[in-house]
Amino acid sequence: MSAEKDKNLAPEKITTKDLARSWFRWWYANEIPHSFDRYIAPSLLWGLMPILRKLYKKQEDLKEAYERHMQFFNTQAIWGGGTILGITASLEEARANALYEGREDEAVSAEVINSTKLGLMGPLAGIGDAIDSGTVQYILLAIALPWAQAGSGLGALIPWIAFVTLTYIYGFYFVKLGHRLGRAAAVEIVGGANIKKLLNGLSVLGIFMMGILAASYVKVSTSFKWTISGKEFVLQNILDQVLPGLLPLVTVMGVYLYFTKKGLKITQALLGLSVILGILAGIGLL
Amino acid sequence: MQHASLSVAQSLLIALWVAAVQSRALGYSTLMLRFSPMMTGFIVGLVMGDVAQAMKITAAIQLVYMGMIAPGGAMPSEPAVATSIAVPVALLSGLKPTEAIAIAVPVGMLGSYLYQLRFYFNTFIIRLTDKFASETNDKGLFLGIIVLPTIVSFVLYVPLIFVALYYGAPVIANFTASLAGGKIFHILSVIGGGLAALGIALILKVIGKPSFLVFFLLAYFMAVSLASLKINTVTYAIIGGIVAYLYVMFTSANAEA
Repeated sequence: MSAEKDKNLAPEKITTKDLARSWFRWWYANEIPHSFDRYIAPSLLWGLMPILRKLYKKQEDLKEAYERHMQFFNTQAIWGGGTILGITASLEEARANALYEGREDEAVSAEVINSTKLGLMGPLAGIGDAIDSGTVQYILLAIALPWAQAGSGLGALIPWIAFVTLTYIYGFYFVKLGHRLGRAAAVEIVGGANIKKLLNGLSVLGIFMMGILAASYVKVSTSFKWTISGKEFVLQNILDQVLPGLLPLVTVMGVYLYFTKKGLKITQALLGLSVILGILAGIGLL
Repeated sequence: MQHASLSVAQSLLIALWVAAVQSRALGYSTLMLRFSPMMTGFIVGLVMGDVAQAMKITAAIQLVYMGMIAPGGAMPSEPAVATSIAVPVALLSGLKPTEAIAIAVPVGMLGSYLYQLRFYFNTFIIRLTDKFASETNDKGLFLGIIVLPTIVSFVLYVPLIFVALYYGAPVIANFTASLAGGKIFHILSVIGGGLAALGIALILKVIGKPSFLVFFLLAYFMAVSLASLKINTVTYAIIGGIVAYLYVMFTSANAEA
């Protein structure tokens, strides 16, 4: 075995620069090759390619690694993709070193690499979707919405630039964390108490901002009025005396209850709400 | 009603933007570009020379699409596609922002089928990518992973959006303009104003536990009763951040005790 040890076949060390390069490649390819049967597996391969080339100097090992990462894979780009990219790089590095040193039996097997990716992609994507897509994105949009409403392009530019910059930076942090800690990084993220606190805090902030938005931008008011013995009654004025902002709140809570009872049937809710509002407007109540 | 129709260049520029977003060819930066109508509305405003009005219309569309997330990749509606048609139509015909929502919603639903079609075409490209992976052919992989899927999406989106804008938008705009001021417009406007409730209810459902609704109510009544003070959203975000901090601090103190 030791006769095989050719210096030219030794795996190179993976540096922070390599990780940064792979992170950009993954970040860029991300959803481009999305397909029905492999989802975004090719994007992870695209990210890992320079690292795999540094690790596997033997053609057949490299070929195996490339083919390995063409298998089904799907996750969220930042929390899932960042962490898994780092972890995979560390696993591939361990495997390449073991293979080179002739310890094939002890090497991290291809199955372990694949099952690590497949096992982590779901839970991490759940966290990433909730935090990035569901909360951070909408907090930024909510803050900037009034600028757009006032006619300023900054209402579009600022949340976009802020979101891209923030996610790019902490995504790379996850890559480095994954590479440093290996599979322990996932435990840190999925089970960590700090992440739970962060998630709760962001949820509270996101929900708070939705209250602010609902108050200003959900426009439901009644145009109904009637006259009794020469005195005109305007229904909206009466409602405003009882509880200002009642109708928009009832509308939001109504849709919320619908989602709670029937699940997230967005299209049905959209059509149903349109029909109800349309009829109420048609008969002159709204 | 400053424009009667879109020029070839205007239609083409908007179509290219939509293709760049929907092909995801600008990396992960396309996440917000695809989920939110804001940047598309801004680009349409630039191309049509009326950023201010375009932003007002897009802000109304954004409210309907609050809370859109795409676990697994598919969404019931495509806000960027919706905006690329609805904002030009609204600018051409002088629609109010809440009325433009009535155009955006159905277009957005059609857009989601288009996105599925993209996955379908990419499924064919995978066969070629597999071959290049086995050959460890990096140039081939560049072609299979980046170049071909991008080209396919552009071929899919550019002609469709171009035709819809160049030929379709003036027709829809004339039609809606002919209805202006009537009962139908009142109805559309009411629907548009109320649909914002949908996006907000969706996000409440997606990101929070039911017990967090209390923070929604707190903010809602705060904003309703303090409306006359014109407190801006950055200030509100700071107050919300403090509330969130206090919540986390108190709940984790309980857990430790």
